[in-house]
Amino acid sequence: MALLKVKFDQKKRVKLAQGLWLMNWLSVLAGIVIFSLGLFLKIELRKRSDVMNNSESHFVPNSLIVMGVLSCVFNSLAGKICYDALDPAKYAKWKPWLKPYLAVCVLFNIALFLVTLCCFLMRGSLESTLAHGLKNGMKYYRDTDTPGRCFMKKTIDMLQIEFRCCGNNGFRDWFEIQWISNRYLDFSSKEVKDRIKSNVDGRYLVDGVPFSCCNPSSPRPCIQYQLTNNSAHYSYDHQTEELNLWVNGCRAALLSYYSSLMNSMGAVTLLVWLFEVTITIGLRYLHTALEGVSNPEDPECESEGWLLEKSVSETWKAFLESLKKLGKSNQVEAEGADAGQAPEAG
Amino acid sequence: MAPVLPLVLPLQPRIRLAQGLWLLSWLLALAGGLTLLCSGHLLVQLWHLSTFLSPSCPFAALPQVALAAGTMALGTGLVGAGASRASLDAAQYPPWRKVLGPLLVAGTAAGGGLLVFALGLTLALPGSLDTGLEEGLGTALAHYKDTEVPGHCHAKRLLDELQLRHHCCGRHGYKDWFGVQWVSSRYLDPSDQDVVDRIQSNVEGLYLIDGVPFSCCNPHSPRPCLQSRLSDPHAHPLFDPRQPNLNLWTQGCHAALLGHLQSLASTLGSTLTVTFMLQILVLLGLRYLQTALEGLGGVIDGEGEAQGYLFPSGLKDMLKTAWLQAGVAHRPAPEEAPAEEAPPKEGLPEA
Repeated sequence: MALLKVKFDQKKRVKLAQGLWLMNWLSVLAGIVIFSLGLFLKIELRKRSDVMNNSESHFVPNSLIVMGVLSCVFNSLAGKICYDALDPAKYAKWKPWLKPYLAVCVLFNIALFLVTLCCFLMRGSLESTLAHGLKNGMKYYRDTDTPGRCFMKKTIDMLQIEFRCCGNNGFRDWFEIQWISNRYLDFSSKEVKDRIKSNVDGRYLVDGVPFSCCNPSSPRPCIQYQLTNNSAHYSYDHQTEELNLWVNGCRAALLSYYSSLMNSMGAVTLLVWLFEVTITIGLRYLHTALEGVSNPEDPECESEGWLLEKSVSETWKAFLESLKKLGKSNQVEAEGADAGQAPEAG
Repeated sequence: MAPVLPLVLPLQPRIRLAQGLWLLSWLLALAGGLTLLCSGHLLVQLWHLSTFLSPSCPFAALPQVALAAGTMALGTGLVGAGASRASLDAAQYPPWRKVLGPLLVAGTAAGGGLLVFALGLTLALPGSLDTGLEEGLGTALAHYKDTEVPGHCHAKRLLDELQLRHHCCGRHGYKDWFGVQWVSSRYLDPSDQDVVDRIQSNVEGLYLIDGVPFSCCNPHSPRPCLQSRLSDPHAHPLFDPRQPNLNLWTQGCHAALLGHLQSLASTLGSTLTVTFMLQILVLLGLRYLQTALEGLGGVIDGEGEAQGYLFPSGLKDMLKTAWLQAGVAHRPAPEEAPAEEAPPKEGLPEA
């Protein structure tokens, strides 16, 4: 009992081959799209690798790039096969390769599906990388004189301006680190000395934030320093003031940006995967229909196409049997060799 | 009545002309599309910057005219591609015969005219940007503090975003902020002696400070941004007010916006030039193809040599014939009818 049998006459076979040829070339375009999506994601991750500790995983964009290239290669090959399928002479040279090629296609489709799943699931690793990277970035904000870290201030400032965020989880993160370099502190001032003595590590901590945290939508000029001191500013209440600084933390902002990017890429890859599965099924039908042409001299005859020759369970049993036979034939050969040697010895 | 600029076109060169014309027409359509995109982009940029350009500035006319010219060029390109494709196929050409003449006239007059006008505007208008930006930025600066006045409440946000995006400060430099009250009076403490002193120190009663808004800050500076007391050399340790070049953006927004808009206008100008040259080539080629095929009586594959020309006779003769035709059309009809009947009667006995 073949699985999903369909009858094919000459016209239907030709139509199937032509349709598959077109779909394969469209799929090559889709492969190029996936390749460029992977490249775009890689560039975006590279741009912000400073705030991700340079340890972010490039698995998703790399796999998208590889899948895009493989898709182009396989589908152009399949297009060529479909083009030749209409000519019995040319098709004869492809015949022995078709079954292994279909097996490779099935594996490729499985891999593509796994990559699609990864696009949706990579959020968690990105979150922890961002948390560590931003914490370090803020720690090195003041090290504008240290070679290797002198760009961190500019990176964090530009990040906060572009993504409309402040600090790791919120603006209070800036209260816990010294973000003003010692070089610009007046150590003769009493206020500076008091602040440095007030904590164990001798850091100059202020209840202030850098200018890049300021929100342009605020109706009053930005208040950056003495944020928790209501009396320092006229008509200011730090509990109710919402528009003065950006409320979002940069971790949440970056995470949502990359999540939306990867989700949309995952959606596109899912569509391409469905398309590829359709092509593989069509190619299988074409293969079995052309195999079923009983009389090679008469191309007009009808044939049958199917997905699997027997039902799923029988095919699976036959597959296991062939594996066992492979193992047994090795054993028999070994025994035969021993038996052969024994009479010689005897 | 000699034709103007005649060109002998046997069959093979005619086919080559049609094929080359097809390619040029698609290139023209592409160039027209590119012009559309450039002018659309410029229009969007102008819409975003509308607060900083005074309403009387005529610069907005440039992208609008370029949009129309680009559409005409796109249309001409598509028509040219269709006509040259049809001229290679005897079955498709007859419907094109009738429309090609008027289409060519429309293409030359409207399309060519619009392109020339747009090119002229590209050369003339950017000069008016100077005064437009001067007025617009001055108004924006003055209204920075009016975050609660209806009609101007967005000036602060827009000016801050402009300074952050274009990396500029003030109109021509950061000192412009010293001459404007940019802190809203609502947030000034009337009991503070310093505030009262400042307000009384000038004629208009403005609260002027030697400080700038946060959006003037330059992230490339190695030290946290210094925004206030910029003229006082003792206010901040290690800060020399004579050299604030890394602390704030040094460029004024006038120069930044002028450069930005002028570069967009020059890109648009170069696409318009390319479109114009392609349009001339396509129109000329179509005219030669049309007249050559007319000479053969509309038969595409005629092996005979046909002559293509721009105009059937010189300019003076053309005007004379046009004038005569207009005169003939105004004469009363009955006089024409016997005159028309007489020649056919003479023709029949001959046949």
